[in-house]
This record gives sequence, C-alpha cells and structure tokens, in this order.
Amino acid sequence: MSATEQTPATQSTLKDQIREFIQVQLAEPKGITTFTDEESLMETGVIDSLGIFRLVSFLEEEMRVRVSDEEINAETLKSVNTIEELVIRKRK
Amino acid sequence: MDFSWSEEQAAFRKEVIRFAKQELNDDVAKRDREEEFPVEFWKKCGAFGILGLPVPQEYGGGGADTLTTVCALEALGYGCKDNGFLFSLNAHMWTSELPLMAFGTEEQKRRYLPKLASGEWIGLHCMTEPMSGSDAYSMRSRAERKGDRYVINGSKTFITNTTHGDLFVVFANVDPSKGANGVTGFLVEKGTPGLVLGKKLHKMGLRTSPMSEVALVDCEVPAENILGKEGSGQAIFTHSMEWERTCILASHLGMMQRLIETCVKYARERQQFGQPIGKYSAIANMIADMEVRLETGRLLIYKAAWLKSQGRHALREAAIAKLFVSEATVQTCLDAIQIHGGYGYMAEYEMERDLRDAVSGKIYSGTSEIQRVIIAGFQGL
Repeated sequence: MSATEQTPATQSTLKDQIREFIQVQLAEPKGITTFTDEESLMETGVIDSLGIFRLVSFLEEEMRVRVSDEEINAETLKSVNTIEELVIRKRK
Repeated sequence: MDFSWSEEQAAFRKEVIRFAKQELNDDVAKRDREEEFPVEFWKKCGAFGILGLPVPQEYGGGGADTLTTVCALEALGYGCKDNGFLFSLNAHMWTSELPLMAFGTEEQKRRYLPKLASGEWIGLHCMTEPMSGSDAYSMRSRAERKGDRYVINGSKTFITNTTHGDLFVVFANVDPSKGANGVTGFLVEKGTPGLVLGKKLHKMGLRTSPMSEVALVDCEVPAENILGKEGSGQAIFTHSMEWERTCILASHLGMMQRLIETCVKYARERQQFGQPIGKYSAIANMIADMEVRLETGRLLIYKAAWLKSQGRHALREAAIAKLFVSEATVQTCLDAIQIHGGYGYMAEYEMERDLRDAVSGKIYSGTSEIQRVIIAGFQGL
C-alpha cells in the first residue's frame, strides 16, 4: 500500500504514534520515563546513533515515508514535534 | 522478486572477471610479503571504470546502480586474489566517493568526484582514534572555526590508503558539549600543512593495502571544505558505514566462490585410500556447508543492496549481511585449508593469505560484536 492510498491519520494520531514508538522502543529501554514533545531527544539521551536509524526505519516502514540522508540530522529529528512535521511534510 | 542478473549485468560480470584475472593478479604473494600497494593496478581499475562505478556519469563515473556495483565487486573478488587491493578500492568508494555524492556541495562534487572516479586521486576517511574505535563519536579530534577557516587538531589511527591518498575525509568535533552532534566532516587534501602521516602500520592480512596513523596539527582548511554542515558528521559516517557494510563484503562472496571451486577440484583429484577425498562425507559435507554459506551471504548482501537501490535505509540489513558474510568467509577459508591438509597450510597454495585477509572482515567497518549490538538494538534490546 502506498502512502497516498493510506487513510490519512489525523495530526494528533500521528503524533501519538511517533511518541509511543519513541517511548516504548527508545526511551524506556534506557530507563527514561518522561519527555515532552518539544524536548531535544538527542540531548536528553533518548535517541543515540543507533536510535536514529531505528527511528528512521519506523518512519519508513510504519509511517510509509522516505527519509533522505540529508534529513537525518539533529534538527529534523530533534523532537516529537519536528519528527511529526517531517512526516506531514513528506506526505504532502 | 527476481534473483537473476540482467543480460547486461551478467555480461559485465564476465568482463570484470576476465579483467581481474588478466590484470590484477601479478606478484600478489610477493607484494603481500613486502606490503606493497599496486599503484599500477589502481590506474588499470580507473581506466576500466571500476573505481567510479557508483558515481553519476555527470561527475565522471559509471552511474551504475547498487546491485550492478555489488555484482562487479563480487566478480572482482572472484577474479582478483589481492584482497588487500580490493579493500583499498572499497575504502575509496564507500568512505570518500559516496559521502561526497550524498553530502558534498555541487562545487565539491565537480572538484573531487571526477578525479576519484578516474583513479587519478585516491580517497579515504579518517575516523578511528587511539581511544575511540567502536565508540567512534567519543573522538578527541577538534575543529575550531577561525574566520573563514577551520583549524583541526587530533590524531587518527588504523587509517587505510593514507600513504597513497589524495583526499582525506577527516572527522573532528566542532563542539564537544554537543557530543556526537558536534562531529563534523572535512575534506582535507594531501599536502595541506598540518596533515601529517604517522608511522606505517603492519597488519596480519590485507597487507597490500596501506595503513598508517594520521596526525592533524593545527591543520587549516578553508571553511568551504566542510562536508555537509557543522554537526552532520554522525549522519555522514553512518551513511558511509551503511553503504560500506552493504557492499564491502561483496568481494568476499567472490572469494568464497573461488575457494569452493578450488576445493571441489582438489576433492575430485586428491586420492586417499583408493578414492577421491570428495567421496568421503567428511570432505563433501564441508564443501556443502561452504556452498550454503555462500548462497546465504549472497541473499543477504543482495537484499541490503536492493534496499539501497530503492533509496531506502538498510542499517539493520547491512549489519546482518556484514556480520554473516565476514564470519562465513573466515570459516570458508579455514575449511578450504582443512580440506587441502598440509598443502593448504603452505603459503604457496595462497589460502593462508585469504584467511589472514578474511579475519579483518570481522573487525573493520564495525566489529562483529557491534553488528550484533545493532541487530539486537533493532529488537529493542
């Protein structure tokens, strides 16, 4: 199924999905229980070098968007909010 | 799914094997002993078009897709017995050409890629430091912006291609307070004041591939020599590693095929207790296992390469391929020696060199242990 064929998720649902993935897959294994949507996930240690690629795999496989090499940087993948913005931008 | 090569790819594969057998095998044992890098082979590969295979044609390359490049590298590994030379070739391709293609400015691409693709220049990258190997981003090298220049200081070790290198992709941290997010890549040309080659390093295998330490002593580069942006070194390095882990062991597939064919021939000819040793299940089973490893390795590398050719990321798949093929190659070399008995242990039969060369595959581009960390990490562990 291509991205355009998918039922568009609402923005709040999309953010929930992103937050849940980061919470369960990246933060909890490191013992980090809380983070805000604005917080820099790299500075707080939620996302490390491997975590970036687990996140990119999640975005590509679950969110059905392609993330270019240039987009894998500390600004674009900084927080839940910027990651959500990336997905919305890529789906347009 | 289509597991076959196209007619064009199959023809190219044959041509690469012919080229490699004919042009790249002279004096390998001697050069291995003397740790000599074959500059003339490099020029031949440049003229043949191998060195710039994945580089777009507009920058002087072959514009080949990832699977075709893997096909060619596998053919090289089959036809060329100089694994050290092929290692240098891979380092050039995946750690200098590819990052330039992905992160370089148009000016940087036009300036460097044609020279790298033609073989006029040799590329390399400088990441590893004495105190940071697997934990690469804990590097101590620093780069400080001073006006329109960066001043780099630090020391690097286990750096491939140095003594013959022309373009060094150097990683240094511009802001240690940001940790890995301060790591930045710089393009440093040979001859730049402050770029100093340290002592030559002598290796167990891959001895025809030059390796040394590199020191950066107040090494000044123009600000426009930054690769990507400040802090994008992590993305560049991960990009390089993803490509390298996907493709670097394609030549090992070729090496394994060559070893299997050598073993089959020997097992058919060598008579013991009145029959060819291949008639004994102990030998036949070993060869069957070698064949299973080769075919499994092919599937893993081809899948990772296919993902890359689709513009997708393949960090997990590349880690699986790199882990499996590197370990499979070592086992295949050991089995090949075992099948040949005393002869296999002799340098003259050249399998001991393949083994020495293969061991490094479990270490470079991320150790087997790091690949397992990545694979387990994708499972949330």
